[in-house]
Amino acid sequence: MKNEKVKVKRPLVRKLLLWIGLPLLMVYIIVILFTYFWSGDNALKQMKEYLFELTSHHACMLDGKFIKVSRASMGVADAIDEFAMPTQKELNALMKKKLSENRDIYGMAIAFDPYVYNKMKLFSPYVYHSGDEILDVDLALSYDYTLQDWFMIPKLLGTSYWGEPYFDEGGANILMATYSQPMYKDEKFIGVSTADISLDDLEREMNNIRIMAGHTFIITRTGTFIYHPIKEYMMNESIFSLAEEDNQPELREIGKKMIAGEQGITTFRDVTTGKKSWLVYSPIPDCDWSFAAVIPDKEIMKTVNSMVLKQIIIMVIGLFIILLVILWAAIGITNPIKRLLGFANKISKGDLDEKITGIRGHDEIHELVKAFNKMTFDLKHYISDLTAATKAKESVESELRIARQIQESLLPRIFPPFPDTEEFDLYARNIPAKEVAGDFFDFFMLDDDHIAIIIADVSGKGISAGLFMAVTRTLMKTVCVQGIPPADAMEKANIVLCQDNDACMFTTLFLAIYDIRTGHMHWTNAGHDEPIIISEDGSFKILKTFKDIALGINEFHKYHEGEAQLEIGNKMVLYTDGVIEATSPENELYGEERFIKILTENADKSLVEIMNVVTEDLDGFQKDNQFDDITILLLKREK
Amino acid sequence: MKNIKTLILIFCIILLSTHILLSKSEKSISLMVQWFPQAQFAGYIVAYEKGFYNEAGVDATILFSDGTDSPLQEVLDKRIEFCTGWLSQAIMLRSEQKKILNICQLLQKSSLMLVAKKESGIETAQDFNDKIISNWGGDFSIQPIAFFQKQNIQPEVIPQSFRIDGFLVGAIDVTSAMYYNEYHKILQAGIDEDELVSFFFTDYDLNFPEDGIYCREETLQNEPEMCKNFIDATIKGWAYAFQHKEETLDIVMKYCREYHMQTNRSHQRWMLNAIEIAMTYKVGDNSDNWGILQKDDYYTVAEELLHQKLITTIPLYKDFYKDVAHEK
Repeated sequence: MKNEKVKVKRPLVRKLLLWIGLPLLMVYIIVILFTYFWSGDNALKQMKEYLFELTSHHACMLDGKFIKVSRASMGVADAIDEFAMPTQKELNALMKKKLSENRDIYGMAIAFDPYVYNKMKLFSPYVYHSGDEILDVDLALSYDYTLQDWFMIPKLLGTSYWGEPYFDEGGANILMATYSQPMYKDEKFIGVSTADISLDDLEREMNNIRIMAGHTFIITRTGTFIYHPIKEYMMNESIFSLAEEDNQPELREIGKKMIAGEQGITTFRDVTTGKKSWLVYSPIPDCDWSFAAVIPDKEIMKTVNSMVLKQIIIMVIGLFIILLVILWAAIGITNPIKRLLGFANKISKGDLDEKITGIRGHDEIHELVKAFNKMTFDLKHYISDLTAATKAKESVESELRIARQIQESLLPRIFPPFPDTEEFDLYARNIPAKEVAGDFFDFFMLDDDHIAIIIADVSGKGISAGLFMAVTRTLMKTVCVQGIPPADAMEKANIVLCQDNDACMFTTLFLAIYDIRTGHMHWTNAGHDEPIIISEDGSFKILKTFKDIALGINEFHKYHEGEAQLEIGNKMVLYTDGVIEATSPENELYGEERFIKILTENADKSLVEIMNVVTEDLDGFQKDNQFDDITILLLKREK
Repeated sequence: MKNIKTLILIFCIILLSTHILLSKSEKSISLMVQWFPQAQFAGYIVAYEKGFYNEAGVDATILFSDGTDSPLQEVLDKRIEFCTGWLSQAIMLRSEQKKILNICQLLQKSSLMLVAKKESGIETAQDFNDKIISNWGGDFSIQPIAFFQKQNIQPEVIPQSFRIDGFLVGAIDVTSAMYYNEYHKILQAGIDEDELVSFFFTDYDLNFPEDGIYCREETLQNEPEMCKNFIDATIKGWAYAFQHKEETLDIVMKYCREYHMQTNRSHQRWMLNAIEIAMTYKVGDNSDNWGILQKDDYYTVAEELLHQKLITTIPLYKDFYKDVAHEK
């Protein structure tokens, strides 16, 4: 059977998504925003560190190159310090050895201070690469080297010195730099030992260094570019000339830090592109130069943003997965509930044959399903029991209805019963509490002048009472013959009723034989409520009787007989205990007093009117709360 | 017959030469400046590049000295017609009876100076005594020597190369510098002006006017019109250079690159501005007033040369200088 679609105004899934998903989404948004800013900073920091390290690394590599050259020169200086003054041959041999060991060294020289070496004014053996050969020459033959920076500056400084690079225009027109190491003997300056490094390879090496999408450059201690991707800058521009040309005082400050041997990272406007860029610089300590990398801000931010973006994407995917999990969990919870709902709807429509299956787990939902199934099962059985019971009841009730109809047909139904008779009026009404009443009344003419009047109340209710009543009524009709004293008739009926009375049923009964001409009556009372006599003026009296026991109890009982006179206009009221024992919803008894009061107040009215007033008053009092049969019989002497 | 042929040939050559000389209105001359191309010579280069010399009917060629040859000597040796040179050197030559003439004194103010770093503890010239000072030789040494004498100091002076590296690394405490050149190179090496102490010789009554235009006496005598045209075109070139500095720098930088000068535009700009200061000193912005050798400046230099025994007699001002620019 297909499940009916249940339309829910605010589905639980939506609620769960709203209650869990929405706060989660908000938390995530906050976290993402936080991530964007914090992580951006962090990524930038990481990026800075990375660039810093990378730049330092390259600067160190370059430094190593220079250290090797300076060490070679220092080696030569040390050798001269150690030994007695070597010969020119020895000097050349020493330098040639160093030269052949290190291809980075283009040439080496020992330049003596005037008159130091063999009292020569100037002497400076120089060895240098010339193609595959290593040649030697005395520089003193060419010029006065003592005026050269490479000689003068270390002499003045007393320390080693890397000279500013220069183009060796005499040679291969290559960029060279000279390292000079002052030499001392007995603490007296005797000259300098130099080594020339060819920077020809530097450009090639630098071209191979890639730091992101930026470029690199090297400046000397005067800020002059000795490497820059823009060739024109090399040896022409300095970082300070660019700062001046580009009117960027900040760049000048950066340059000052760079030539001071500082390490740093900063932003500036790249002169070549005019765009905001990052400048990372690191010193090359051996020669007091500075290596730097320039990376466009866009590149850095691109990398930083992609790092942040990756994090955000991961977070968004995470959020999506969590939302899916919530949805899955919500559906997992709501689906059985929905099925239960559909199931409950079916139950409400009476379909109890289905059983919910396929809901796994050991959770509350599963327990609920189990309870539901049990409930359906119980309900089904209960309903089938109930149906059977109802059927049975309905058949009894229908029988009772028939019995009632029969019973009703037993009671006189036509009022006034004797329309031609002027001497008296008679009116009676039986209001049964159940389908079959135990009360009954009866009257019938014994001869032209005498009428027998009976009112009775059978013990118990229902069919048995009805049957007993029917028997009693028939019996009374049989025993009340013309001229029989009422007590005799009562005794005869009592004897019959007592015989075979296994059910131990009994009935109270009042029997009067009334002379319609004189108003005189003979009566006998088998335990019934005493009649009330109402005068036309509204006064009343209760007919005092011998209260004999009810019929059907003692077959040997002798019933007493009494007499009474009903004056013209007076009314005799016979009733069963259902009247005075009528109970209000508030559990108050109707009572004899109220009954008499309403009777006397309406004493001047016709019997039908009185009956109506009384029954209406009773109805109003009981309010559908009738427990006992109510029977009232009114007799009025007209003349 | 042979003689006739020779005569005809000689005649033809003379005729041809005359024809060439007559048919060519422009006189081909050369100007040699003291150094490689730089803004110091912007006026001449601009006059040449903008065609001012040609307009003036002078077919001028600019030669750049590499420092090994002396332009004044080149003029005296008749290899070239004009040159630029310092007043001091020209006076010395004149006092040696060399027929050299100053026909236009362009730079009025000396740009030579001494520079020290404040960190070396130098505040006044009196602090020079135990310091190392580097000086160039020749003309460049005259003012410093005079300065030391005036200040009554005897510092240790060592020869100075064309580079300022010794000063930059702190090997030298005080260096000579041209305000338009080395001084700015120091700034372009990352040392700020407020970190420096400067001594301008002009501030110590030692204003030695520098670049002037020189020729032989005979050149002016033989071709006064050409000389005037040349000087006028040169002054026009300078006036144009100062009025169109960026264009001038374009031209100068082109020359610098051609001559593989290790320089940059901002340095040349500084130089051009500094030369403008030196040229307009005392005489003002109006180019009509340019080119005059002030008599007192002349005698300041000459007397100092005499004092330093670099000359024995002071040549007469009127013999030495001819105001070609303002001749009618």
